[in-house]
Amino acid sequence: MNTFLTLFTKEFREAWRSLKFVWMPLLFIVLGIMDPLTNYFMEDILGAVGNLPEGFMLTMPELHPIDVLSASTSQFQSIGLVVLVATIASAISRERQNGMATLLYVRPISFTALFMSKWAVASLLGIVSGVAGYAGSLYYTTLLYGSVEYGAFMKMLGTYCIWILFVTAVTLACSAMFNTAISMTLAILLLPFGLMIDSIIGSFWSLSPWKLSAYGVQFISGGTSEYYTATVALTLALMISAVLLGILFSKRNAATAKI
Amino acid sequence: MITVSNLTKTFGAQTVVSNVSFTLETNTATALIGPNGAGKTTTLSMLTGLLAPTSGSIEIAGVKDIRREIGFLPQYPQFYPWLTALEFTEMAAKLSGVPASAAKKEAERVLTFVGLEEAMKKKTVTFSGGMKQRLGMAQAIVHKPKLLLLDEPVSALDPVGRREIMNLLKELQQQTTILYSTHILNDAEEMTDQLLFLRKGELVESGSLTEVRTKFESPRYRIEFATQEDALQFASQSQLSATVTGSSVYVEIIEERPTMQQLLERLVASKFAVTKVERVTASLEEIFMKVAGQ
Repeated sequence: MNTFLTLFTKEFREAWRSLKFVWMPLLFIVLGIMDPLTNYFMEDILGAVGNLPEGFMLTMPELHPIDVLSASTSQFQSIGLVVLVATIASAISRERQNGMATLLYVRPISFTALFMSKWAVASLLGIVSGVAGYAGSLYYTTLLYGSVEYGAFMKMLGTYCIWILFVTAVTLACSAMFNTAISMTLAILLLPFGLMIDSIIGSFWSLSPWKLSAYGVQFISGGTSEYYTATVALTLALMISAVLLGILFSKRNAATAKI
Repeated sequence: MITVSNLTKTFGAQTVVSNVSFTLETNTATALIGPNGAGKTTTLSMLTGLLAPTSGSIEIAGVKDIRREIGFLPQYPQFYPWLTALEFTEMAAKLSGVPASAAKKEAERVLTFVGLEEAMKKKTVTFSGGMKQRLGMAQAIVHKPKLLLLDEPVSALDPVGRREIMNLLKELQQQTTILYSTHILNDAEEMTDQLLFLRKGELVESGSLTEVRTKFESPRYRIEFATQEDALQFASQSQLSATVTGSSVYVEIIEERPTMQQLLERLVASKFAVTKVERVTASLEEIFMKVAGQ
């Protein structure tokens, strides 16, 4: 536990001083408020810059809060997710490759504590960013499109946090297993790219961690998929497996730390 | 006392360290020397516990988890750029089992000892090579290890930095057992109780500097003559392996060849004007070349 706290302090200081806790939430806030604003002002924007012919008529669809939150979610799940994954995919591998880890690995540390400290800070970063993004989105959604039920919003947010925990666990496990280049590629293939695959051919199955955030958004319309509980359980199971793999491989690969 | 027995490391078919055994007495300094690729760093990484040996064992008398009792300074220590020297050293202390309440104090103590008291609140990203080496030293000794392992501690430093680190090591030698690798033989000559020669992964020679010297040194003498002509003439007459530079002759006496006594008798008989006769001690470098070239 002491080792965990010591390493957590170090991880947190690094993330804090490199301003990750500033720019990552800012990015998510920008992504979150983009959709409610652009959709609301679409007519004006088109009128101002669209160079539309005289008498051109445009019918804008009437958007509901759920549509807007769903659009924001897909922003987080594309750009936001790629940035988050890319930021943490080197967390373990880079330290091994440049030799910074050597000075820690020669000490009697527990690799469980080492992995957990990284996972805790990465998850904290992801969750703070996700919450900030949704808060921004919610603010303009309620202002411009109508109110959202508090309980349903919290359920959606909670579901998204589970997804973030899954993302950070899988990404760090990749980082523990491979060098930075491979870990980055693999994590991006598994997570943002996996989401894309799931959205293209995912209609053939219902149980998939990649569907979790979509199920979360459905809470806003009053009820979610019947597969929600099973999907959460599956996601948590995969997350725990990723954590175990990550711990195992950070220990096994310790000898590859550059001296 | 630290006992290393039959340490072996193979990577695939390649044997990098083969059957290396030695003991380190408490509070002594041992130099691990050998040409590049001899297995010095691999041996040190096995001693740190970072690399598991293929076979063999490392024991510190009376210690269970040897990682607690080891301080390690790699050749090019890398630090977390966002942390200050004090934060890093304090973390190192805690991770090595120094109680949290004492860690900061201990960190300040060793940083002052290595001469970083002015810079301890600065981020390590601003540190020069010499400062990094000193910080590396501080993190290696903050938990008062029984065994201090240093990989080429001064090779990358300028003469001033080298002197500072050598002085620190000499002070540390009073309190802890030191094993360091080096290919700079002057440094090994300056501070060593025991020499370990590695070549192609094997321990080819060991012992104190004097022991190794006696073993590898054939007695050599330098004779200075009044003129160069005398020197050249003596060299050709003497039937010894002799090299002439200026007006001095280096004579090497190999086994059954004449002793000092006989050499002097010959000199007297030759009637040349001799100005100086001295015995030359081989430098570690010459011994090194001999051992490495065996």
